[in-house]
Amino acid sequence: MIRNRIGLRARRAALLLPVMLLTGCSSHKLANQFVLFRPSGPLSGADLHFTILDVGVMLGIIIPTAIITIYFLLHYRKTNTTAAYDPHWSHSNVIELIVWAIPLLTVMMLGYYSYKGTAAVDPYNPGLLKAASKQPVLDVDVVTTDWQWLFIYPKQHIATANQLVIPVGTVVHFHMTSATVVNDFYIPRLAGMIDIMPGMRTKQVLMADKIGHYQGLSANFSGAGFSWMRFKTEVVSASQFNDWTKEVARSPLHMNYAQFNVFARPTKNVQGKTFEYSQVSDRLFHQVIKGVMMGRVYTTPLPPPGAA
Amino acid sequence: MGRTAGVAAASETGLWAEHHHHDAMSTRTLGFWLYMLSDAMIFAGLFASYAVLSHHYNAAGGPTIRDIVHPFYAYAETLMILTSVLAYGWVMVALKAGNRNGVLIGLALAFALGAVFVGLEAHEFSGLLHQGIDAERSGYLSAFYALVMTHGIHMVFGLLWIATMFAQVASQGFTDKTVYRLLNLKMFWHFQAVIWVLVFTFVYMRGVL
Amino acid sequence: MVHVQGPWSPLLGRLSMGAIPDNPIITGAFIFAAIFGVLALAYVTYARKWVYLWREWLTTVDHKKIGVMYILIGLVMLFRGFIDALMMRTQQLLGDGLHSAGYLGATHGYLVPYHFDQVYSAHGTIMILFAATPILVGIMNIIVPLQIGARDMAFPYLNALGLWLTTVGAALIMLSLFLGDFSHAGWIGLTPLTELAYSPGVGTDYWMWSIQIASVGTTLGAANLIATIIKMRAPGMTWSRLPIFTWTALSTNIIALTSFPVLAVALGLLGADRYFGTHFFTAGMGGNLMLYSNLFWIWGHPEVYFVILPAFGMMSEIIPTFSEKALFGYITMVAASFAIAGVSWAVWLHHFFTMGAGPDVNTFFSIATMMVGIPTGVKVFNWAFTIYRGRSRFDTPMMWALGALFMLLLGGLTGMMLAMPPINYSVHNSVFVVAHFHTMLMVVVYGILGAVSYWFPKVFGFKLNERLGKRFFWYFTAGTVLVFIPMYASGFMGMTRRLDYLSNPHLFPFEVAEELGIGLYLVSVYYFVAQLFVSVRDRNKYPVGADAWGTGRTLEWITPSPVPFYNFAVTPRTHARDELVWRREQGLEHVSVKHYEDILMPKNTAVPLIIGALTLALGFGLVWRIWWLTDLSFAAIIVTVILRSFVKDTDYTVGGKEVAGIEKGLQARMKGAQASGLPSGGVGGLRPQESNS
Repeated sequence: MIRNRIGLRARRAALLLPVMLLTGCSSHKLANQFVLFRPSGPLSGADLHFTILDVGVMLGIIIPTAIITIYFLLHYRKTNTTAAYDPHWSHSNVIELIVWAIPLLTVMMLGYYSYKGTAAVDPYNPGLLKAASKQPVLDVDVVTTDWQWLFIYPKQHIATANQLVIPVGTVVHFHMTSATVVNDFYIPRLAGMIDIMPGMRTKQVLMADKIGHYQGLSANFSGAGFSWMRFKTEVVSASQFNDWTKEVARSPLHMNYAQFNVFARPTKNVQGKTFEYSQVSDRLFHQVIKGVMMGRVYTTPLPPPGAA
Repeated sequence: MGRTAGVAAASETGLWAEHHHHDAMSTRTLGFWLYMLSDAMIFAGLFASYAVLSHHYNAAGGPTIRDIVHPFYAYAETLMILTSVLAYGWVMVALKAGNRNGVLIGLALAFALGAVFVGLEAHEFSGLLHQGIDAERSGYLSAFYALVMTHGIHMVFGLLWIATMFAQVASQGFTDKTVYRLLNLKMFWHFQAVIWVLVFTFVYMRGVL
Repeated sequence: MVHVQGPWSPLLGRLSMGAIPDNPIITGAFIFAAIFGVLALAYVTYARKWVYLWREWLTTVDHKKIGVMYILIGLVMLFRGFIDALMMRTQQLLGDGLHSAGYLGATHGYLVPYHFDQVYSAHGTIMILFAATPILVGIMNIIVPLQIGARDMAFPYLNALGLWLTTVGAALIMLSLFLGDFSHAGWIGLTPLTELAYSPGVGTDYWMWSIQIASVGTTLGAANLIATIIKMRAPGMTWSRLPIFTWTALSTNIIALTSFPVLAVALGLLGADRYFGTHFFTAGMGGNLMLYSNLFWIWGHPEVYFVILPAFGMMSEIIPTFSEKALFGYITMVAASFAIAGVSWAVWLHHFFTMGAGPDVNTFFSIATMMVGIPTGVKVFNWAFTIYRGRSRFDTPMMWALGALFMLLLGGLTGMMLAMPPINYSVHNSVFVVAHFHTMLMVVVYGILGAVSYWFPKVFGFKLNERLGKRFFWYFTAGTVLVFIPMYASGFMGMTRRLDYLSNPHLFPFEVAEELGIGLYLVSVYYFVAQLFVSVRDRNKYPVGADAWGTGRTLEWITPSPVPFYNFAVTPRTHARDELVWRREQGLEHVSVKHYEDILMPKNTAVPLIIGALTLALGFGLVWRIWWLTDLSFAAIIVTVILRSFVKDTDYTVGGKEVAGIEKGLQARMKGAQASGLPSGGVGGLRPQESNS
């Protein structure tokens, strides 16, 4: 039968899946891709901790429920004439008490953990980093445009585009604004997301535990260049960081507000280019916010006629 | 167990309800209340937006409520709309008495007073526009205009409805349809007055105090 | 008026030759649609059905026909939304990795970003507002009056108006495919991306007006349904005897009536920004872009409960029928529905935990969100205890209802995860969220498909082919699993949503799996179409009686199948919850009416259709900023409404003799079904045979 053949082909294709998972890359490499399971900072670590907790609690309810339901379906099927049949039985106070109590208690427990966890990873003032806040702190100002990232180090008077370098074990205070539309600041293995909004300043406080390369991205759709709106994040040792800032301070490229307005023209960063700027004013961030609040927009051009 | 309490006795004639009629009048007024509930939610959204956009930075350095509001002018508008509602109360009294002319006079009066209200508001806005205080100036002014003008647009539609009812009652008299529409219009007119009182209180009065 | 980029003329507004897209995919779509349209028109002409179409369908105010048209529109749009999904999956598969090839002018894959962005925006908008919502409204339209023993809805004319307004919204979206473009900013339309500066074309206007117009229809329909349920119940139908589906219809329409106006405000203010240059949601000049998110989601979250509560109601009807047992915990099921509806108003912020409202605000909304899980969990347990000590059969409707139950378990698990801010901060806007809400929407889709196969025999008088229906179910389920389980996994790999180019090549195996899943969906579509074709072809071989499944419980299974236009020859009197079960146990199932009276029915009218056509002109004029057209059509709508209000004679009487004649004919047709030993009623407990496999 033709229909059976299609079904058979579908089943065969499904069996190939595990094989396809292994082609092209070793399974070790694939496991590394589950970045949310490989935190490199206390905030991401907390996120993972609560994920496991929540899933564990919920599975504890859902798996028994599923098993019971399947058992009922099979045991009480019409063709099983040995099973009891009680067509008018439709109420039981005891059962009602239990089925309301179980979700209620679960929500109470998860609600408590939600309360604790939210305060622990609050981007503006994470409880987990309270102890570490006595150490010296690095300030980074972040400005997003259509469709690039600008990281300003106000105290060092340098800036980088589409690339972030921070020292390990240091609390970093990010102050963020957008020149255009809403984005989300996200480095999956270091911390959770926070919105970046134009005309406003949001904050993220985080710390990286391990030296390495990480991927940062925008997690909020911002337009045609969104897919390329990524930034490399390098976590380096403190001394490497100092050397790096001195090197960037020697960059021939500068960034002031006028040059920023050129940088902020709609640009799809298809080639993943990065830039480094020196002699950057620590007022640049405020100038951008002020400009946007006064009505500055970086208009997206109309697609050419006939374009879909 | 589980059988519903109050099960009627088994009888063949009890299976069908003959001569069963629905109360069309109360169904139509209930339907209109439901519409007004949805309309109230629109105003709720607009009031909430107005509140959110009433912080000092929403004025973007431009005019605030104090620069717009003329309390006595708003008071005059309030008088107009409330007396218009009063006139409509006249319509209801005449309706109850079956007095067609009374209803027509009441409708005409309610229309006239309501039209004065709309005229006053239009005059107020044209004055503001001449001063350059327009909705594009700031988020705050956008919210002000949106809230007050939405009420004004409702008033205009209400006037249109009053005029239509005038023509309908004049030509068709009191039928099922015209009567339920007069009842619904009563509720709509009162509703607009209530919204105006809220606008007056939370926009105009707050601007002055 | 505000200045826009591109040409504008007083006669044509922004419309110009450049509005016609020059893209092979769209050209192909146009050719397909044109051929289909021409064939349809040619068929109607050839079969001389224009008068029939006008009289029986286009000008009808019959709730059943209106419901069928709602469902048809929903199914057509569901298919279009599915094609969008197919295109998205394929783009993400072909555009995975730095070295992935680019076709048709794209850097990677075959869709340039601007086009891909429109495809997913259309997909979301269509699926929620033009597929799920119309189909649900259609089913409620057909079934609720039957379940409460009424002849029609409280406001039949308004009902037709709601249908045509929804159609106009759908028409505008379809039009955007061939003239201009669609929004690129997602179905949510966040600001300031949808402001003129960042969405300079007409796409966002198409999106905005199609939703606004359709929402008016939905709001009016909600008022209609609520008034119907409150006022039009037959004698004896007290609140405690109301069928559970009608209860969920009531709770869901209370949500719709109160939440859709907030959407109207959100879109209206955005429209003011785009048309008048105001500053509600702009980043500068005192605007507050966060206000849009709040207003939108204050509507948006109740909206998703608006779609899922009827699905719960459908499951609550199907499971008892196919377990031959009363629904467990009727009162708590009703209470749970209203608890869900109420709490749904207090959770909207969970859509933007990352906006930075602070831990206290976030915690409040987190706990409120989790609280919605309590009544939902109660429902799952109550369904399980309905099956307990019942006699379960696994006909197609039951399979869909059970599938919905298991989808709810998975969706609920992931929902509880997303309700916790620490987890949410790491998966917000990722495909994990996409997989979660699709799983929840699958509860709705499964409920819908179950309800359609469940009530189809009641509306049309014959069952859908069972064997093909089961195939449709299994391929659909396999597709669902294969598309969305890998998506949960890629969410944990940090894959964001709305990407037209995937820079991480390790996503490839998951993309392949998801593409295979879409392929399985495609196969299921084949079985859906085949099922319809075969069932219609064989319809006269297997007619059904009033109680099509043999174990119906509620009032709609008392009417003949298909239901005559007046529903009940004489309004039935209700004596118990699950009235038909009561009658069966009293032996009163086959007692027929002794005396037929005259019936008052509403007349057909072309006015809703005319208002719909004028609204289409209005919407089109607004999108393209053709001011003379908007002014003219708006004035014409008002004039039409006023003129219609002067019409005195909107009802007509069907004589008792005519009713008796119709009933006799229907009884004779159903006796044929009884004679062949097929289920047409009969005592609960008799095992219905597979009629057409």
